Amino acid sequence: MDDFEKYIRENKLLFDEHKADEDKIWADIESKLDIENKKESVRFVIWKSPFIKIAAVICVLLGSFTMLKLVTKINTNTTHKNAAIHQELNDIDNYYKGLVSFQVALVKEHSKLSASDKEEFLSFMDDLDKEYMVLKEEMNANLNNEYILEAIVQNYKKRIELIENLLEQIKDSKKSDDNEGYIL
Amino acid sequence: MKTNILYTHKDLIEKSKSGDRVSQYQLYKLYVDAMYNVSMRILNIKEDAEDIIQDSFVDAFKNLNSFRYESTFGSWLKRIVVNKSINHLKAKKIPVIPLDHHEYHISEEINKSNITPDIKKIKQGIAALPDGYKQIIALYLIEGYDHKEISEILGITHSTSKSQYHRAKKKLIQIINTL
Repeated sequence: MDDFEKYIRENKLLFDEHKADEDKIWADIESKLDIENKKESVRFVIWKSPFIKIAAVICVLLGSFTMLKLVTKINTNTTHKNAAIHQELNDIDNYYKGLVSFQVALVKEHSKLSASDKEEFLSFMDDLDKEYMVLKEEMNANLNNEYILEAIVQNYKKRIELIENLLEQIKDSKKSDDNEGYIL
Repeated sequence: MKTNILYTHKDLIEKSKSGDRVSQYQLYKLYVDAMYNVSMRILNIKEDAEDIIQDSFVDAFKNLNSFRYESTFGSWLKRIVVNKSINHLKAKKIPVIPLDHHEYHISEEINKSNITPDIKKIKQGIAALPDGYKQIIALYLIEGYDHKEISEILGITHSTSKSQYHRAKKKLIQIINTL
C-alpha cells in the first residue's frame, strides 16, 4: 500500500459528505416494520385459532387420502396393463401348444415311422417340454424380461424344426418306396 | 479488546431483536448517515440510496436474530447496504466492473503515485471515474474491503478484483493530475 492509498484510508471519514434525510427514511422504515409486524401477528393469530388448526388437519388428511388414491390408481393401471399382456401371451402360447400337440399326435400314430425314430423324436420333445416349463415359470416371475421371451420363441422354433425334420424323413422313405416300385 | 468492539451497542441490539422500536430508532440514528454515504458512493443517486437504506434497515431489523456478534453490527449492516447497492446497479444494468475486464497485473511501479494528497481533488477524481472504477475504488480504499471480499461482493475472481483496482487507481491518479 503506497502513501496515496494510506492517505485515503486514514481519512476515509472525510469522504462521508452526505447527510441522510433521517426523518423521511425512518418514517418509511417504521411503516414497513409495522406492516411486517401486522403480517407476523396475523400469521400468529391464524395459527392460534382452533378452527384453522382443524381445517389444516382436514386438509392434510384429504391431501394424504388423494395421494394414496392416486398411487393406488397408478398401481391398478399398471396391473391391468400387465394382465392384458399376460393374457395375450397365454393365447399365443395355447395356440402353439395346440399346434405342437397335434403334430406330436400325428407323429405317434404315423405308420411309416420306425419305433426308434418315434422314441428319439418324443425324447427330444420331452426335453424341450421341460425347458419350456422352466422358462414359463421364469416368465411369470419376471414378465418384462425380453431374454426369457426370446428363449421361449427359440424353444418353439426347435420343436417346429424337429417336426419338419421328421416330415422330411417320412417324405424320403416314401420316395424310396415309390422308386422301388418303378424298378419293379 | 477486539471482543469489546464486537459487542458495541450490544444493549441496543438485544432490545432491537425483541422488537423494541425505541432501541431500533436509536440504532438507526447511530448508523444512518454512515450507511447512506456508503450507498451514495456506489449509487451516486440520492433517491436510489435512500431506497436502499430503507430496505437495508428493514431487512436488518427483521433478521437481527441471525446477528451473532461475529463481526461488529456496523460491518454487518454495511455488508447488507453494499450488497443491496451492488444488486441495484446490476438490476439497472449498470456495469459493476468496467467492460474491458481483462485479467492482468499492472506493476506496482506504474501505480506509485507521487501526487500530494488532497481530499478535495481525490473526491473530484473519484466522481469523474467511469462506472465500475468508481465502485471498486470505493470498496477497496474507503470501505476497507480486501480483494477476497470484493470478489464475493461483485461476483468476480480475486485476480480480476486486483487488476481492476489497479486500473481504477491508475485512472484516478491520471484524473487528479489534470485537476
